Amino acid sequence: MTAEKSDLLQGTLDLLVLKALAGGPLHGLGVSRRIGLITRGAFEVKPGSLFPALNRLEENGWVAASWGRSENNRRARFYALTKAGQKQLASEEREWTRVATAIGLALEST
Amino acid sequence: MAVPPWVRLPCLARNLFRRERVERDLEDELASAVEMLAAENVASGMGPEEARREARIALGGVQQVKEAVRESRTGAGLETLWQDVRYALRMLRRSPGFSAVAVATLALGIGANTAIFTVLDATLIAPLPYAEPSRLVMLWTGYREARQPRVPASGHEVLEIRRRSRELAEVAGIWVGAGSLTGEGEPERVRLALTTSNFLGIFGVPPALGRTLLPSDEGAQRPSIVLSDGFWRRRFGGDTAVIGKAVRIDGGLATIVGVMPAGFDVVFAGDSSVPPGIEIFTTFGRDLAEMPRDMGWIRMVARLAPRATPASAQAELSAIAERLRAEFAEYATPGLELQVVPLHADAVRDVKPALLALFAGVGLVVLIACANVANLLLARATGREKEIGLRAALGASRGRIARQLLTESLALSGLGALLGLVVGRLGLAALLALRPASLSRLAPSGLSWTVLGFTLLLAVVTGIICGLAPAVGASRRDLSRALQEGGRGSASLTGRTRPQRVLVFVEVALGFLLLVGAGLLVRTFVSLSGADPGFRPEGTLTLQVSAQGGRYPDDASRRRLAKTLAANLAALPGVEAVGAVSHLPFDDYPNWYEYYWREGASESEKNTAMADHRAVLPGFFESLGAELTQGRGFTDSDDANHPNVILVDETLAKRTWGNESPLGKRLNVSFIHEGSFDSTLAEVVGVVRHVRYRDLGLDGRGQVYVPFFQSVRPELAFTLRSSRGTRADAARLAGPARREVARLDPDLAVSKVRLLEDYVRQARGAARFTTVIAASLAALALLLAGIGIYGVLAYTVAQRSGEIGIRVALGGRPKDIAWLVLRQTVGIVGAGLLAGLAGSLVMTRLLQKLLYGVGPRDLATLAAAAAVLAAVGLAAALIPARRAVRVDPMIALRGE
Repeated sequence: MTAEKSDLLQGTLDLLVLKALAGGPLHGLGVSRRIGLITRGAFEVKPGSLFPALNRLEENGWVAASWGRSENNRRARFYALTKAGQKQLASEEREWTRVATAIGLALEST
Repeated sequence: MAVPPWVRLPCLARNLFRRERVERDLEDELASAVEMLAAENVASGMGPEEARREARIALGGVQQVKEAVRESRTGAGLETLWQDVRYALRMLRRSPGFSAVAVATLALGIGANTAIFTVLDATLIAPLPYAEPSRLVMLWTGYREARQPRVPASGHEVLEIRRRSRELAEVAGIWVGAGSLTGEGEPERVRLALTTSNFLGIFGVPPALGRTLLPSDEGAQRPSIVLSDGFWRRRFGGDTAVIGKAVRIDGGLATIVGVMPAGFDVVFAGDSSVPPGIEIFTTFGRDLAEMPRDMGWIRMVARLAPRATPASAQAELSAIAERLRAEFAEYATPGLELQVVPLHADAVRDVKPALLALFAGVGLVVLIACANVANLLLARATGREKEIGLRAALGASRGRIARQLLTESLALSGLGALLGLVVGRLGLAALLALRPASLSRLAPSGLSWTVLGFTLLLAVVTGIICGLAPAVGASRRDLSRALQEGGRGSASLTGRTRPQRVLVFVEVALGFLLLVGAGLLVRTFVSLSGADPGFRPEGTLTLQVSAQGGRYPDDASRRRLAKTLAANLAALPGVEAVGAVSHLPFDDYPNWYEYYWREGASESEKNTAMADHRAVLPGFFESLGAELTQGRGFTDSDDANHPNVILVDETLAKRTWGNESPLGKRLNVSFIHEGSFDSTLAEVVGVVRHVRYRDLGLDGRGQVYVPFFQSVRPELAFTLRSSRGTRADAARLAGPARREVARLDPDLAVSKVRLLEDYVRQARGAARFTTVIAASLAALALLLAGIGIYGVLAYTVAQRSGEIGIRVALGGRPKDIAWLVLRQTVGIVGAGLLAGLAGSLVMTRLLQKLLYGVGPRDLATLAAAAAVLAAVGLAAALIPARRAVRVDPMIALRGE
C-alpha cells in the first residue's frame, strides 16, 4: 500500500507526521523516512504531499520549524512538535484508536 | 482538526507581507533535500551529475512541490488574486493606447451614470429631511363635479378633518403669500407663510433658535413669527439676539420667536402653491372656522397616527368626505373628495418620470460603452492568442485563464470608475447649473455613500459585462491551433468577428433608442418654445409690490397707490404701456380661482364651475401683449362708483354661452371689498384670448378679469412694456422703475424686478433640463457607436489585408474593395436600426408623460434618428474602406 495509490486521507497523513515527530525533531526527508520506518514500509509519503502537510501543520501551530545541521552536517530545516502539537497528537491518537476499534469490531462480527 | 481562524492570522501576515523570506525558506529547504538525496546517491556509487538528476526525480519536480506548498498556504487565494491584478495592470500598461481608450470610454459611461444617479438619489431615494418622513402625508381636496382634483381646502375643512380623524395624529395647513418687512434697512418683500400653529412641528425638526409656533399664538394680538435660516442670516446677520425682537410686517408689529435650522425647507409638489424658500412662518391671522366653507385656499399636510397606514387614513378620509358632503351643501354640490398621498411621492410626482427616463437613457449609454470595450478586448484577445495558448500549455486551467481575462476587464472598469467619479462630478456641476426649480432639493455636495456604492456596483457590473465575451471566447478556444496560427489566422476570419459584429449591432440598436428618445424630447422642447402662451412676453418688465397695512390700511389708499404708481411709471421715458395684475403668469404666487355661475343659475348649478380670477389695472392687456377679441378693455372709470364689470377669456365664454356673444351677459364672480371675498353679479364688457398662467403646454381654467378699482387686492405686479419691445430695452427700465417706487413711498417693498420673458423661460426649465441631458446622452451614444463601428471595420480590414491583397493583385477594382468593407457596415447598421425601431415602439411609450406637441411614434423623429445613425455608421466606415482600397498587394502578401 503506497500513499499515492491509497489516496491517503489528509487527516491520516497529518497524524503520521505528528507521530513521526513525537520521537524528536526531524528534517523533511527524515520525516518521510521515519514514517516508512514506523509503518514498516506500508506508507511511502511523496515530497509533493509531505511538504504541503508540514507547512499546514506549521501554520496550525502544531509544529515549529527552524534551521539546523543534519547528521552529515548539512544545513536543513528541522520540524519539532509544539505543546499544541503534542496535545493534538494525543487527541488524534485517541480518536483513531476509537475508530479503529469500532471498525475492527464491525469487521469481526458476522 | 479544525483550528480557530485567528491562529492562522500571523501566518497570513507572514505569507502576504514577508513573502520573500517565506519563499527563500522553501527554496532552501527543497535545495537541501535535493543535496541530501544526491549525496546519498553519490555514496552509493553514482556520478555527481546523475546523482543530482536522480535526486530531483525522486523529489518529484522541485517546481511542482513548490506550487503544492504555495497552494497549502493561508491566503493562497488572495495571493492568486493579487497576482492576477498585477498581471492585469501590467498588461494594461503594455498597451497604453488600448487601455486609455477603454478606460476613457468606461469613465464617460460610468461618470454619466454617477451624475444622473446623484440627482435620482437626492430626489427620489434619499428620504425627506424630516423626522420619520414616511409618516407624513399630503391631504388633497378634490371636486368631482367641477372636475378639479388637487385643489386647496377651506379653513372649515381643515378643522373638520382634524376634529374627526383618528388615523391622523396631526393635520396642519399652510398658505404662502408675500409680506412686506419694513423699518431697519431697506423695505423688503418676503415669502411669508400663514400656517396652523402645528405646521412646523409636524416635520419634527426642532428650531435652531427659540421655538416654533404654539396654539396660543393663534389669534394673538401681536403675531409670532419664525424665520428661515437663510433669511435670518441675510437680514439679521445671524444675530442670536433676534429672539423676542419685534419687527414690522405689513405695517403691524410681529415678534420673532424662533429660527429654523439651516437646510430646513418645505418640500411640496409643484402644483401645491407652496414654493421652496419660505422666509417667514406665522399663524393664520383669522379664525379658520369663520371663513366661508366654499373658499378653498389652504394646503394640508398630516402625520399618520402610530398604527395608521396611508391606506387606512385614505379609507377614513373617504368616509369623512362622505359625511361632509352629507352635512354641508358647499361640499355636496362640487362633490368633495379627499385624497391621501405620501408626502415624498407627492413632492416628486412631477420630476419622477423625467428622472427615470434619463436614468434609463444613461443606462443605455453605459451598455454601449461596455459593448465598445468588450469589442476592444475581443480584438485584443485574438491578438493575444499565442500568449494565452502558452499559458495554457504551462498548466494554467481554462478557468484560471478566463478569470485572468475577467480580472483585466475589472481592472479596466475599476480605473474607469475612478475616472468616472471625476467625470460624474463635472457632469453634476453641469446638471446643477441647468436644474429647474423642481429639483431644488439637489444639494451641490453631491457624492453620498449611496452614490459611491452605486458607482462601485456599476464598476463591477460593467467589468463583468465587458470581460464576459472575451473570457468565454478564450476558454473555448482550441489551444493547439492558436499556437500554430500564432494569433494571425487565415481561413475563418469573418466567422471570428461575429461576436464583435453582434456587439456593434447591439450598440446601434441601443443608440437608436437613445436617439429617438432624445429626438422626441427635443421636438417637445421646440414645441414648448413655439407654444403660444396667449401673450407676447418679449420686451416687458415686471415688478411686484404689496400694499398692506401701514400706509395702506384700506381699499381707498391702495387704489390711490395703484393709480399714482401706474401713472408715474407710464411717464418714464421708453415705456409704451403700463398695467398691473394680481397674479402674474408663471409666478409661484398662489393662484386665485373661484366658483362662478350664470345670472339666475339654479342652486345645483352654483359651485360646479371654477375660473381663475385676476384683478387688473387698465392697460394690463396692452402691456402684456394679450389680445382683446370682443368688446372693450377696462378704463379708469370702471371703479367703485360705477357698475361692476368683468372681462372673460374665450375658453370661459365658449363653455358658458357657446356661440352666443358674451357681451352684455352677467356672471356671478368673486369681488373683493376690504379683504373679504363676495360673490357679485357683474356684466361682461369684453372678451380676451386665453392666457396661459401655469402650464406653457396646456390651456388652464377659464379666466375672469375684474377691475382692480372695483376689487382691490394688496398684491400688485406691474407690467411695463418698453417702446421698442426688446429684452435690452425692457431690462434698462428696471433702475428708473425702482427709483419711481422709492420716490412715491420709500417704505414700499419692491420684489421680483424681472423680465416677463424670464418667467416663461423658467416655465420651460424642466423641459430644457431633460432635453439638454437627453441630447448629450444621445450624442455620447452616437460617438461611442461610431467608434465601435470604426473599430470593428478597421480590425477586419487589418485581418483581411492578405485576402484584399490577393483581390487587388487579381485585378479587383477599388470600388469592389470598398464595397467589401461597406457591405458589412450596411448589414450591421441596418440590422441594428431594425431592432432599435422595434424596441423604440415599446420604449417611447414610457416617455409619453414628458412629451408635448409630438406623439411617441413620431415618424419624422424615427426617420431622422435612423438617418443620423446611418450617416455616422458610413462615416465611421470610410477610413477603413479607404485603407482597404490602398492595400498594397506586395506588402500584404509578404506579411502573410
